[in-house]
This record gives sequence, C-alpha cells and structure tokens, in this order.
Amino acid sequence: MTAPLLELRGLTGGYAQTQIFQGVDLVIEHGATVGFFGPNGHGKTTLMKTISGVLEPWSGDVIFEGRRMNRAAARGSRRFRNFNYDAVTRRRMDPKDVARAGLIHVAQGNLLFPEMTVTEVLSIATLAAAGRSAPAGRTDVAALFPRLAERRHHKIRYLSGGERQMVSIAAGLLAEPKLLILDEPTLGLSPKLRLELCQSIRQIKDMGVPLIVIDQDLAFLSALIERLYLFDHGRIARVLAKDQIPGHDALMSMLFGEAIE
Amino acid sequence: MMSFDTFVAVASGGLALGAIYALMAAGLAAVWTTLGIFNFAHGAFIALGAYIGWQIADAEAAGLGLAAGVVGAFVGLFVIGILFHLALVRPFERRPDIVTACVITTLAGAAICESAINLIWGPRSKQLGQLARGEVDLGVFRLPVSDLVLIAVVGATLGTLGWFLSRTRTGRAMRAVSQNREAAELMGLDVPRLYALAFGLSAAIAGLAGIFVGGLRFMTPTMGTDPLMKALIVVILGGIARFTSPIYAAILVGFVESFSNYYVGLYWTPAVLFAMMIVVLFLKPSGLFGHHQRTL
Ligand SMILES: Nc1ncnc2c1ncn2[C@@H]1O[C@H](COP(=O)(O)OP(=O)(O)OP(=O)(O)O)[C@@H](O)[C@H]1O
Ligand SMILES: [Mg+2]
Repeated sequence: MTAPLLELRGLTGGYAQTQIFQGVDLVIEHGATVGFFGPNGHGKTTLMKTISGVLEPWSGDVIFEGRRMNRAAARGSRRFRNFNYDAVTRRRMDPKDVARAGLIHVAQGNLLFPEMTVTEVLSIATLAAAGRSAPAGRTDVAALFPRLAERRHHKIRYLSGGERQMVSIAAGLLAEPKLLILDEPTLGLSPKLRLELCQSIRQIKDMGVPLIVIDQDLAFLSALIERLYLFDHGRIARVLAKDQIPGHDALMSMLFGEAIE
Repeated sequence: MMSFDTFVAVASGGLALGAIYALMAAGLAAVWTTLGIFNFAHGAFIALGAYIGWQIADAEAAGLGLAAGVVGAFVGLFVIGILFHLALVRPFERRPDIVTACVITTLAGAAICESAINLIWGPRSKQLGQLARGEVDLGVFRLPVSDLVLIAVVGATLGTLGWFLSRTRTGRAMRAVSQNREAAELMGLDVPRLYALAFGLSAAIAGLAGIFVGGLRFMTPTMGTDPLMKALIVVILGGIARFTSPIYAAILVGFVESFSNYYVGLYWTPAVLFAMMIVVLFLKPSGLFGHHQRTL
C-alpha cells in the first residue's frame, strides 16, 4: 500500500506565545479534493501555514507522500535548545522543502511582490518545480486566466484584488503542485469575479490537481469537494462526506451548538 | 570668480566622488532592502577591497597590475561577504531583535576586519595607482582619463546589477525575497541562500569601491569610515527604499563635497553635508527620491 498524499499526526502549533490549534490528525488520499469550513479566526490559516512550513509546528508531524517534512525535536526540547549552528539557523520545518516536494500553498490575501510585474512573478514561480518530475501539461495558465495576459507588464501593486488572486493561483500552478492549498481564494471579490474564479478552480480540479480549499461559501464548496472538514476552536470538529453537507444555517448551528456545550 | 577650467576640474572630481558614493550606497541598499539590516562593516569591506587589490596589483607585492587587482578585490570580497553573513548575521536571523543584534555584530565584524588588516599589512599607509593616466582634450575643456574610466566602470557595474536584478531568475528571486519574504518562502525560494548572495554582492561592490578610494587617498585600515559616513548621508538623502534611489543623491553629494571643498574649505565640508541632510529630513523624511516601501 502506498502512503497517502498528506498525513498530519497530532499537529499542534500557533504563534510565539499563543497556541492556536492542537492535536490535528488528518489523512488526504491521492486525487482527493477536500474543503475546510469554520468561523473566522479559529485557526484555519494558521494550520495551513504550519503545513506549508512558514510557521514551525510545535509538535506532531507533517508527512507528505510518505516523507516527514519536519525534523523530530519538539519545540523547546533540550536537544533543540542546545547551542549548535545548525539548530540555531535551521528551522524545524523548511517551507522551501515543502514547496519543492510539491505541496503548494496559495496564501490568504496574498500580496505577492508589489514591485514586480506579472511576467516576472510567473517567471520565478516555476523554480519550486525545478528538479522534480511533475505531471506535464497542467500549466496552461494563460488559458485559465486570460485576463492576466493583457496585464502581464503591470506591477502587482497596480492589480485589483481579484487579479492578484489570479496571479497567486497561476504562480501556484506553475510550481507543478501535487497538492494545492487555496486559502479563501474568493475573499472580498465582486460577485462577477467570484464566479469567474470559482469556474477556474473547478477547471483546476478537472486537470487532476488535488486541492484543499478553504472558503466561506458552502454552496461553492459542496459542489467542488468530496469531503468537508469543519474547523472549530483549533481542531477538526467534524468530517462530512459530500452528501452529508447541510445548508449554511444548519451548519452554523451545528458548529455553535458544539461550541456552547 | 572661478575660471572655467577650474570649474570643470572641480565638477569632474565631484562626479567621480559621486560615482564612488553611488557604488557604496547601492551596496548598502542591497543589504538593507533584502535583509532589513544595516551593515556597519561596509566601510571595513572598502578597506579590505583596497588592501586585497593592492596585494594583487602593486609592484611591491604580487605586481599583476590594477586590472587583476580589481577582479581580485571583487571576487575576494564576494567570498568574504558570504562568510560574514554566515557567521555574523544568519545565526540571528530568526530572532525578533535581529536589527539591534546586527548593529552589534556588524560593528564587531568591522573591528575584526580592521584589526586583521593591521595584522596582515601593518599600519603603514599605502597607495594604489591611478586607473589610467593623462587627460582627454574635448575641445572646450580637458578631463582626466582616470575620472572617465572610473565613471564608466561604476556605470557598467550598476547597469549590470540592474540587469541582473530585473532580467535573471536569480535576480528576480532576490527582489521577490526583499518584497515579501513569506510569499517567497511559499514559492520554494531558498531564502537563506538569496540573503547570502545579496550580502556577497554588496560586499563585492564595496570591494570595487575600495579600489577607487585607494587610488584617491592613502590607504589605512580605517579608510572606509569616511566613505561609509558619506554613503550614510547619501542613503538618507536619497531614500534607501530601492537600490537605485541613492544613485542620484550620491552624485549630488559628490558635487556638493567637491564644490564645498573648493569654496568653503576641506574641514567645513562634513558640516555642509550634514546641514543639507538635516534640511532634507525636515522637508521630506523619506528622502529626496524615496518611497516608504522598501524593495530591491
Ligand atoms: N501573526 C499573528 N500573531 C499572533 N496571533 C495571530 C497572528 N495571526 C493570526 N493570529 C490569531 O490566530 C487566530 C487564528 O487566525 P487564522 O487566521 O488562522 O484564522 P482563520 O480561521 O484563518 O480565520 P479567517 O476565516 O478569518 O481567515 C486568530 O485569533 C488570530 O487573532
Ligand atoms: Mg484564514
């Protein structure tokens, strides 16, 4: 039996002083498309940042295609604290290794590189795929986002929020992802642009790219995904299969009903 | 009244000085914009560049000629810059107080470099040769060839740096890291390596500047202190937000210094420059050509 695509084992993490989530266990198989849904500020973004290594996990493991992405020593352990150059300079988890292994995280509200043009950003996006055999033919981003072609010589800071989101996703695709995390891709977009972007995300799924999508729009999510994780108070409160996903109101009472108990 | 010939001589001297300051300031800005720290050892890098250049070029030492000295200083300082980053900056990179920590470590690094120069080459002052001899006659006025060569070399260096940053993938990756570190990490860019590269390039450019300073003045282990101070004025005047913004300010400072040396006197020049800086800071705190966003 081959290892699952992504496995989290007892993952705990947060910011310097504040723990945000604890003991998250999760298995995502090859080819799966899953969603995350939960109240604002309960740690979905923090969990994703920990999976991709920009935040260091406090304890627990992130295993991608059978390979553990973090180093063993837990945060604050004796071995970790003892002075040695490697321990001081190296992270417990290196986001570069994660991205180069093929787990690509398109961050929430990604501002990218404000002073670079679209072409320049896309030209370096392929660096993460260097030296890795990747399924070919997925990266026709020009067809996916025709809007970007006419904006290619514009600097990122002159783009609209939606266009910036398109550049972020296009850059993620150019890195030949084996698993693509999209963190609230449709946040703050106009209804028209939202529809356009949702359409593109469906196309990405149809290309065969496994996805983790975080979104506040249940209708969009439930049409797209095969499984929904309800995230609440820093842990996975419930896992729902596609046909178990209730309407928005029922879901909210489900979440808050649990929170009050 | 100043004669036309004197005016031309003072102006071309000012332009040459400005070119040297532009090199220094661009190096300082390259480290500031990418790593967000100020490198106080930049002056010591100048001195090291001059001494390494002297060791290779001078007839008393290896005697390979000034062109070899230029290459040696550039390559040597590139390596020293990377080692410097590994030893004195990188260990503190993940601390929240990295800025203060690096004030101290780079000052310490400067002291170590200057003592090392003293140990290796001794305190006796040396001088590097001119880049070229003679003058060119342009009809109305004559210019020293060495100034022209200097300006051409500086222009070519800054032009190449600009090309590297905007056209090559590595250069673009360096700019990406300077503009948004987290997004760069998520793209799989090797941030520590790009930081080391920025430091190495900055030091290499300082080494080149050192060769020019060594041809203008006598070399001492602390010869970099004065140019570093001028480069500081330049980056404050011009704004340090991007690496091109200090270039115009550098030429301005070069001119002001050259004319103030002639009219007001050598000892008053720092006062004139600082007064100019304070006035600019009052009127436009982000610098004459500055932006608030720091970017490479
Ligand atoms: N840099 C930070 N330092 C400390 N705490 C932070 C930081 N960023 C976020 N937090 C806190 O972490 C908690 C979880 O935030 P996170 O962004 O992960 O939530 P989220 O579930 O993604 O919310 P949203 O749906 O609004 O995107 C919040 O309470 C937030 O205040
Ligand atoms: Mg979020």
